[in-house]
Amino acid sequence: MIASKLKEAILSLRPGRVTLKYPFAPHDPEGDFRGYPEIDTDKCIGCGGCAAVCPARLIMIQDIDQNTRRIVRLLERCIFCGRCADVCPEDAITMTKRFELSTDSGREDMESECQVFMATCQRCGRCYEPPSALDKIMKPGLRNDEVKRGGQDSPYKHISSE
Amino acid sequence: MNVQQLGETIKDRFGPDVIDFETLGPDQLYVTITPESLVAVAEHLYQNEGCRYVINSGTDRRQQRDAFLITHFFTQDEEKIYIAVHTEVGADDPQVDSITPVVPAANWSERETRDMVGVVPVGHPDPRRLVLSDDWPEDLYPLRYDVAHDVHPPPAEGVAPERLEPPEGASVVPIGPFFPVLEEPAYFRVFVEGEQVVGADYRGFYNHRGIEKLGCSVLTYNQVPFIAERICGICGYVHSCSYCQTVERAAGIEVPDRAEYIRTIVLELERVQSHTLWLGIAGHIIGFDTVLMQTWRMREPLMWLCERITGNRKAYGMNLLGGVRRDIKPEVYGDIRGVIDKIGDEWAELAAAIPGDSTLMARLQGTGILTTETARKLGAAGPTARGSGLAIDVRLDHPYAAYDRLEVTKCVHDSCDNLARVLVRLEETLDAIKIIHQALDDMPDGPIMAEIDEELPAGRQAMSAVEAPRGEVFHWVLTGTENRPERWRVRAPTYANLQCVPPMLEDNALADVPICIGSYDPCFSCTERMEVVDVNSGQVRVYTEEEFRNEYDQPGDK
Ligand code: SF4
Ligand code: SF4
Repeated sequence: MIASKLKEAILSLRPGRVTLKYPFAPHDPEGDFRGYPEIDTDKCIGCGGCAAVCPARLIMIQDIDQNTRRIVRLLERCIFCGRCADVCPEDAITMTKRFELSTDSGREDMESECQVFMATCQRCGRCYEPPSALDKIMKPGLRNDEVKRGGQDSPYKHISSE
Repeated sequence: MNVQQLGETIKDRFGPDVIDFETLGPDQLYVTITPESLVAVAEHLYQNEGCRYVINSGTDRRQQRDAFLITHFFTQDEEKIYIAVHTEVGADDPQVDSITPVVPAANWSERETRDMVGVVPVGHPDPRRLVLSDDWPEDLYPLRYDVAHDVHPPPAEGVAPERLEPPEGASVVPIGPFFPVLEEPAYFRVFVEGEQVVGADYRGFYNHRGIEKLGCSVLTYNQVPFIAERICGICGYVHSCSYCQTVERAAGIEVPDRAEYIRTIVLELERVQSHTLWLGIAGHIIGFDTVLMQTWRMREPLMWLCERITGNRKAYGMNLLGGVRRDIKPEVYGDIRGVIDKIGDEWAELAAAIPGDSTLMARLQGTGILTTETARKLGAAGPTARGSGLAIDVRLDHPYAAYDRLEVTKCVHDSCDNLARVLVRLEETLDAIKIIHQALDDMPDGPIMAEIDEELPAGRQAMSAVEAPRGEVFHWVLTGTENRPERWRVRAPTYANLQCVPPMLEDNALADVPICIGSYDPCFSCTERMEVVDVNSGQVRVYTEEEFRNEYDQPGDK
């Protein structure tokens, strides 16, 4: 019994203090870590590939009219998978090393929106080349995805607001 | 007996009741039978063919066949065969004979099928609701194709759960609904006489997330691996692998060798991670927090390693159909070996200290007995089964990924108590480390992802399983149109193991209840992956020990 307790004591003492200061001090993840994506709206051509593969279905596409496509991202739902960046034909998406999704001001902090001028585009979807047949765009043509934000229209409203 | 012979045997025995059977490879048998013969066939498989029950599934095929497809899954572990018994019931009269009276382990899943698909198991000994909340509308069956994935019925007032009284003279000690030990929703009502436990109730399924429904209604084939991974927060990769293997099998996609090795390595890393986490929790449960602190300290470098290899410490996002997304670069091999060897050394030290520690032994030895017989009857899986002397391990019984090329040891103990389950996991962790070394030694070169140029054919099916840290994870997929499965059925190991808890608790002191529950490493979230967000009405339904006894201890039951 005593011997066992001693062994356990040695095992516990040997490593010394290992607790990190995070979140009081920053703790940067190591090199290959994948955080949430950042979108370069200047590069985006509005092909909709990222929306087709995003497992969290957080990328919504709305064709306001023939000229304008609006892409809304509700990044609060992002699972850091990096699929959007993998398929983007224009390299408009970069995976950052940032991972903290909580905000003190509201969910809007985690939303991003971009508008792409698409006047001559027929929305045939051919500018997006899926890496496999399983990643094709399921909804080509003009689109009007429902944007379910955290606020008024949210399905979780009854939990979040009252 | 090979798979063809097994099919023939069933056909010979049941004649015209067997409408058809087909095989997939050397290890999968699909038998379609008439509804009238279902009970007899199930009993035959369970009693005469030595099969273990896995799960039941219901599929709404009214669009294709004007019928519901009811499927019972079995496995014959010695012959390495998975068996699916299909039967179709007409859409106008959705009921089917219950097999629970002859195969006790079917209890929960038949009720789940009733809740979700609306096919009533006739003659079920306990036909109460299992999965849906008490105020869910009677005639709304979430897994039917014409029910939307995000349907949200209003909460109802004045609904009462069916609750059973404790035995005469016993008092009730509630544990839950928020299970304090694992910080997950589960509600045990433990019946005690003085210090002695005389029975227990379980009510769970507070946390349905609608994952199967999402997979069959809004997601596409390549989106599902990511949500599958979220079925469990500790060992999610097993689900993502199992799902991918199932669809790959159904569609005939050849996964490159290197991808199989990578999957194997990540699976074993996950096992080490999960078992170290579990041992810490177990220590915490019995009030020995040193164990918690030290095992989690040992575990942390492994989490960082996984972050390096996969991009995240948990929920790796490694799998897509056809292979893996990230290669493990040869430069990292050395680091992997270093990290796991360090854990291995410390783990061995810790394992050596445990048998000499009388505090620990007093809590573990002879407590939480789950007999071999009960374990088999209720379909226990993984370390829970192996701690009760059942030598089952999917890695050896139904090899997947690269396990057929590696040396794996079945760690079995037969003292059937909490200690046995601890020892199984202690040994298994060291074995996992060996497996990782072997896999790194033999790692073949080559591509890590198969090319998929065409859409997957509809109407194909396959089964696949993975030995998760908690036991057998089983998936079945029926491929569909629109780039997604028509039906995807998941069975997490806790679904089976949870049904073993009430018998395990009996005759223990109240103080030992938490470790008994903890000892099978429950993962309530895995179990509750099914369907539709529970509106958290706070209402309680119970499942009592008494009922378990009534149902399971029937004469003639093995
Ligand atoms: S990282 Fe994944 S979840 Fe996040 S936006 Fe991209 S595809 Fe969607
Ligand atoms: S895939 Fe790239 S180019 Fe296409 S819509 Fe998304 S961000 Fe824009």
